Amino acid sequence: MPVLYPPVLFLGNRMHKILLLIVITLLSGCTAYQRDSNRLATALNTQSPEIVLAQLQDSKPQARDNAQFHLNRGFLEFLSGDFDSAIATLFLAKKEMSVLEAISISENVGAGTLSETLRSYSGYPTDRVMVHNILALSYLFNNNIEGARVEILQADLAMKKLAEKNALNGQLASAHLIAGIVYELLNEQSNALISYRFAQDIITQRDLPLPLGLKQALLRMSFKLGAEQQFVDYQRRFPDLPKPSQKTENQVFVLYFDAVVSHKVEKTVVLPSRNFAQLIRISMPSYPLEQQHVRPLSEQQVSTEMVENIEVLVREDLALEYPSILLLTTTRALAKYELLRRVNEKDNLAGLLLNLVTVATERADLRSWNMLPSNIQFGYLETTENEIQIDELNDRPQKIDILNGSQNMLLINNLSDHIFHYQQL
Amino acid sequence: MKIQTNLWFALVVTFMMTGCSTSVERIDAQEQIDLSGAWNDTDSQLVAREMIDDSLSRPWIVRFVSETAKDPALIIGSVKNLSHEHINTNTFVANMERELINSGQVQFVASAVARQEIRAERGDQGLNATAGTRNAARQEYGADFMMQGQINTIIDIEGKTQVRYYQVNLELISIKDNRKVWVGEKRIKKLVRNSQLRQ
Repeated sequence: MPVLYPPVLFLGNRMHKILLLIVITLLSGCTAYQRDSNRLATALNTQSPEIVLAQLQDSKPQARDNAQFHLNRGFLEFLSGDFDSAIATLFLAKKEMSVLEAISISENVGAGTLSETLRSYSGYPTDRVMVHNILALSYLFNNNIEGARVEILQADLAMKKLAEKNALNGQLASAHLIAGIVYELLNEQSNALISYRFAQDIITQRDLPLPLGLKQALLRMSFKLGAEQQFVDYQRRFPDLPKPSQKTENQVFVLYFDAVVSHKVEKTVVLPSRNFAQLIRISMPSYPLEQQHVRPLSEQQVSTEMVENIEVLVREDLALEYPSILLLTTTRALAKYELLRRVNEKDNLAGLLLNLVTVATERADLRSWNMLPSNIQFGYLETTENEIQIDELNDRPQKIDILNGSQNMLLINNLSDHIFHYQQL
Repeated sequence: MKIQTNLWFALVVTFMMTGCSTSVERIDAQEQIDLSGAWNDTDSQLVAREMIDDSLSRPWIVRFVSETAKDPALIIGSVKNLSHEHINTNTFVANMERELINSGQVQFVASAVARQEIRAERGDQGLNATAGTRNAARQEYGADFMMQGQINTIIDIEGKTQVRYYQVNLELISIKDNRKVWVGEKRIKKLVRNSQLRQ
C-alpha cells in the first residue's frame, strides 16, 4: 500500500532533529493559540467584549490562524460598538477566507503527515455567511444602509454557492431575515418579501417554529406589495394575525444575539501498536452535546423567538467535514507508524524519542469562529409610543427613544449592555 | 543522501520565504490591470468617459443652447450603488465631473455638500473681508440639469468561474420641469476564473 512519508523521513540525522524541533515548536504554538482562543470565547460569558477584545489583541496567531483571529476580533469590535474597526477587520477575514478557498497542496501534505493544524483556517460554511451578516449589521448601525445592502447581496451569493454542494449547508435563515429587513428599510418591498420567504423556507426545513415576527413580515409585505394571492394564502396560514394596517406606525425590528456558541473539544485515543513497540495517538475534533441557550427576551409587547440555532449549524459543518478529517487522521497515523518502524529498526532510543514527538504532535484541529452567538432571535413590534423598554437584558431594563413614523432596528445581546439602534424616518 | 537532504531543506526554506517578499512597482494610472474581477478604477474611468461622451453628443444640448443662448449648467446628484460590491461612487462621480468640465460644452455647479462649505466661507467674507474683495451672497449659478444614476450587478457563479455583469444607468433631468432629457446605459461583462490551487 502506498504510504505518504513526511518530509523529515528523507533527511539526514542532524537535519532530522532540527526540523523535528521546528515542527514541535510550530505545533505547540498552534495548539497554545487554540487553547487561548477557546479560553477567551468562554470568558465572554463573564467578561465584557471590550475586555476580551483587549486580551485577544495581545495574542499572536500564526499566519494560518489569521482568518479565525480576524473573525473573532471583528465580532468583538462589533459587540463593542466600534463599527469602523469591525468592518475593516471582518473585511480582512472575508478576503483571507476567499483566498483560502483554493486548495494548498503543501498544507494538505502537512495535514496528512504531521498535523491537521498545519492547514490554514479557511472558515466553515456558517462562517462564510455569518461574516456578511455581521458586516451588514456593522454598516447598518454605522448609518450606511447602502453598505449593508451590498453585504446582504454578497451573503446571498455565498449561500447560492454553498447550496451547490449540499441543500441546507451554509443556508442561514438569519441572513435572509436581515436581508428582508434591510430591503424593507430601503422600501424595496418585492425583494423584502422574497427574502422573508427564503427565511421561512429554511426555518421550516430545519423544523423550527416560525417566529411571529416573520409571519407578520410575510403578511405585511404581501399586503403592501399588493400580491393578493400570496396575502390570502398567508392569511389562511396565520389566521390569528390581524390584517396589516395601511397607517404607518413606528416599526421596530429586534434582533437578539444570545450567549456564545460552543467551541470544539478534542477527543483522543492513545493505543499501543500491535507489537507494543509504538504508541499511536488519534485525535479528532468534536462538539460537546448541544446545550440549549434559548432565553427569549421579553420586550414591551413581544418576545423574541429563535430564527437561527448556530449550535446546530456548527455541528453540521463539522459533520460534513468529518470524512476528510478521518481520512487524513488515518493517513497520518499510517505515515507516522511507518516512519517510527523504520527508525526503530535502526535505533531504539531514537525511535522512542520520535514516538513521543509523534504522539505530542497529533492534535485535533479545534479552530472555529468560537465567539459567535449561540442562537439568533427575532421580534417585531409596531407601536405609536415614542419609548420602548427592553426588560430582561442582564436584569437591567433599558429604555429606547423612537421618533414618530420611524423605522427602527435594534440589536441586543446578552454579553454586554450595548443596545445598537438604527433609526430612519 | 546528503545532496538530497540539502535539496529538501533548500526547497522548504525557499517555499517558506516566498510568502515574505513584498515588491512595489509604479505604473501608469491609465494602465488597465484586473486583479480580482471586481469594479476598479479602469471601469470607473471608462464608463464615465463613454457615458459623458454619449450624453454630450445627443440633441438635448443643441436644443437647450438654441433656446436659451447659453451653455447648460449641470450638477451631479446621487449615483446609487445597488451592486454586489462596495463601490466608491465618489470616484465615479469625480470622473464624470472631470469629463463634463473638460468637455467645455457645459457649465458645472458644485455639489450640495460643497455649496454648504462655500456659503459658510462667503458668510465669513461678509463679516471679515474688505469690501473690495468680498463676494456677495445670492449670486449663485443655478443648475439647469441634474445627473442621477445607479450601478447594478448580476453575478452568476459556477464552481470557481463567475460572470460579473455591471450595468450603469444615468439620466439627465431638467430641474425646471422634471423632464428626462437623456438616459444612458453602459454595460460591462467580465469572466473571472479563480484558481483551484494556491501556495
